[in-house]
Amino acid sequence: MSLTLLLEKYDVSTEEGLQKALNKIEKEEAEVDEALSNALSRACTLEGRLRTASQAYTKLGEVRNDAQVAANMVDKTAALAKDVSAKVRQLDLARSRVAECQRRVHDLIDLRVCSAGVETAIKAHDYETAAGHVARFLSMEPGSVAAARARGVADPRRDMDAAASTLRDHLVRKFEEASKREDDTAVERLFKLFPQIGRAEEGVDLYAKYLASQLESAVRRAGAVERSSEAGAFAAALTRALEAGAAHVERARLLLAAHAPAHTLLPRALAHLQPKVCAGARRICADMMSARRAGEAAPAGDARAVEPPLCELALAHERLQLYFAFLRKRPELTTNLTEAEKEKCLAEIEKIILECEITRVAQDVLSQYLTLERYFLEESVNKALKLSSAQSGATGSSLVDDVFYIARKVIRRGISTGSVDGACAVLNEAGAQLERCGAALRRRLAAPPPDPLPLPPPPPHDRPRAPPRDDAPRALYLALTNEAESGAEWAEALAEQAVREAEALWRGAGGAGGAAGAGQAGGRDKLRSCAAGLGAAAGAFRAARDLALAALRTALLPALTAWAHALVDPDTDDDELSEEAGALPAALDVLADAARAQLPASADALLAALLADLLARAEDALLRNHYDRRGGLCVERRVRRLATWAGGNAPGARERAGALAAAAALLALEKLAHVHEALPPAALPPARVRDVLARRTDFKLEDIKRLKL
Amino acid sequence: MEDYKFLFKVVLVGNAGVGKTCLVRRFTQGLFPPGQGATIGVDFMIKTVEVDGEKVKLQIWDTAGQERFRSITQSYYRSAHALILVYDISCQPTFDCLPDWLREIEEYANNKVLRILVGNKTDREDREIPRHIGEDFAQRHGMYFLETSAKEAENVERLFMEIAVDLMEQAKCKELPKYDGSLGPLNGKTTSVNDSSCCLRS
Repeated sequence: MSLTLLLEKYDVSTEEGLQKALNKIEKEEAEVDEALSNALSRACTLEGRLRTASQAYTKLGEVRNDAQVAANMVDKTAALAKDVSAKVRQLDLARSRVAECQRRVHDLIDLRVCSAGVETAIKAHDYETAAGHVARFLSMEPGSVAAARARGVADPRRDMDAAASTLRDHLVRKFEEASKREDDTAVERLFKLFPQIGRAEEGVDLYAKYLASQLESAVRRAGAVERSSEAGAFAAALTRALEAGAAHVERARLLLAAHAPAHTLLPRALAHLQPKVCAGARRICADMMSARRAGEAAPAGDARAVEPPLCELALAHERLQLYFAFLRKRPELTTNLTEAEKEKCLAEIEKIILECEITRVAQDVLSQYLTLERYFLEESVNKALKLSSAQSGATGSSLVDDVFYIARKVIRRGISTGSVDGACAVLNEAGAQLERCGAALRRRLAAPPPDPLPLPPPPPHDRPRAPPRDDAPRALYLALTNEAESGAEWAEALAEQAVREAEALWRGAGGAGGAAGAGQAGGRDKLRSCAAGLGAAAGAFRAARDLALAALRTALLPALTAWAHALVDPDTDDDELSEEAGALPAALDVLADAARAQLPASADALLAALLADLLARAEDALLRNHYDRRGGLCVERRVRRLATWAGGNAPGARERAGALAAAAALLALEKLAHVHEALPPAALPPARVRDVLARRTDFKLEDIKRLKL
Repeated sequence: MEDYKFLFKVVLVGNAGVGKTCLVRRFTQGLFPPGQGATIGVDFMIKTVEVDGEKVKLQIWDTAGQERFRSITQSYYRSAHALILVYDISCQPTFDCLPDWLREIEEYANNKVLRILVGNKTDREDREIPRHIGEDFAQRHGMYFLETSAKEAENVERLFMEIAVDLMEQAKCKELPKYDGSLGPLNGKTTSVNDSSCCLRS
């Protein structure tokens, strides 16, 4: 504490204060002394520490030198180790060379054994051992053989090759003998030796030839058609022949699957087998096509007679497609192939299919099927058209029922050929024929019979109704209108159904591999597009229906016009009013009942249209008549009843009926000033309101003009 | 779902090997596949083009030329909006068959169908049918005429675009122009096509 602070803190003027200050000073002095002595004592330790530090420094220098020495040692050791490992590596190499030498020595020993062994084994008819020796020779490194030759030994390869070829000759001879005996076990046993002597392909050829000769007779047996007149006889024979072919192909596949390279051996075997299948199938199909072509001409006009041949052709084509699908699935089933090998194998098989004869046979079968199917379709539809026009009104069977039954059957059969192109072509043809039916209906519906629908005439002109005429043409006309309506719906339903059912085409070809994937998508699009072509037929039917409805409207127009005039007639007897106001709804009820009963699908649209015709004419007539209040009241009452009827029975015309009711309400006004109460807001445009009011003889034109609307 | 305003079906017919598939491939995929195998049945491709800012979808049916597929291909004539009849300018027999093709078209196709005669393979040196012979034939039968090369991509785009434009005009007019006279508006068009192609060539 400084002196000034002391002086401030303590009152030094008094003794007591001085004493206190002194005490304080003394206390501080003691503290300072203590601190000083402390510092002094520390100086001693510091000195000691400095000494130790300098000693440590010298020691560190020694340690550093030691460390340097140690590092040098480690370096040297590493260099040594490196030297050692290089030596080890050299040793390793030397050891592997020794191993190789040993192998070659073994090879050389074996080589002598082999070339001698083959001869003895052949002599002993032990072909398995002989083939084993050859296989051993083939697995030897060429280097060993070369080395043997270099050592001056007579070229062992020559001996070995000679032995191998002798063995081969023996095997081939034995194989031929066995195949003559049709000894399957011997043939298969011998076949297995060929891959061992490095002649797998020759073996496959021999084996495939053996199978092919068996297949040829099997196909001939299967393809024999006893009674060609029997329905489906040829298709059955074709099925048997193709099954025989498939069985032989499968037999070859099972045997070849174990021998590399299976992915080239299988197509190689197929190349031998396929011509036999082709020859058999071609013969059967040619017979079938000529037999069934003759059948076509026989009973002229009887389309049903061609159905059995049609089914047979479709079935035959489907069988051929099935056989192709079977071939395409083979590589997939051979499990020990890699994906790439499977693909290669499939491509080879695809090439064989594309180039083989039955591909063209299948195309010809399909062509004949389609030609015959077109004939069937045309004839059947002709017949349906003829029948439907003959039985006027008799509702036994309808044209649309008949033609759609035919179309569905034909489309199903088209799909059953197993060919997308076939199904598409049939869909196209069916669409064309349905469109033709739609057009035929349209022609028949062009002119309706008189009074197609009943509408009683208005009461004041109650002339005796014409004696009821023949109802038949009327019923027929309405029935045809209904048919046109349902034809349109059925055409669309048929298209959907066809697309659904055609899915089977892709299920059948399933597993055809990735290559067919793009083709499948294209095929689906193609089929969908052809099915959509049935929409044109739906359009034709719809056009026929629209034409019929328009004709019905025209036919009813005179009666409707008479009613329109009666509706807005200004001169009416008060007494009859209530009865008379109900006459039009009653007449319309008759019409609506008849329409709903006979044209269930289009009645509502027709009624709305008819009512619109009636209202339009009534509006016209109203603007030409003159009314007093009484007349206006009558009109208002009649129109209100009509509007109520429209509300319940023809919602489509409700608005228009409301507008006419509003106009009629104007005609029934007591005073011009009441316009606003009588008129629902925005019911009629102002100009129209003035026009209607002007028809009242007792309203002045100036007053009407002055009205604020 | 699909964004287009018009859909037209275009069917290509003509003898085997005249280059129908190549024309279609050139137009739809922009490539010329050498060693194209024979078409089997009918192939189907789609290309959407734009005409006056409106999307037009062309559904192109590429038919097989071989006789054995005739019963399949015939079924496509009826719904076609345009039929392209193709021959090979370096192969007289393909030209000689044209009347047979026309008979087939008469029998199976809609009489309002747009018909175009195309002489393909103008890149070939060994021309056998001079241009004017083809032109005359087209004119006599009320068809458009165009010579193309699928290999050199010559006139291929134009062929299909002209068809799209023409069909769209027809569709827009709704009331189809009276083609029965066959030498009416068609003939005028034919010359205009020929004129412009002459300009292109010179």
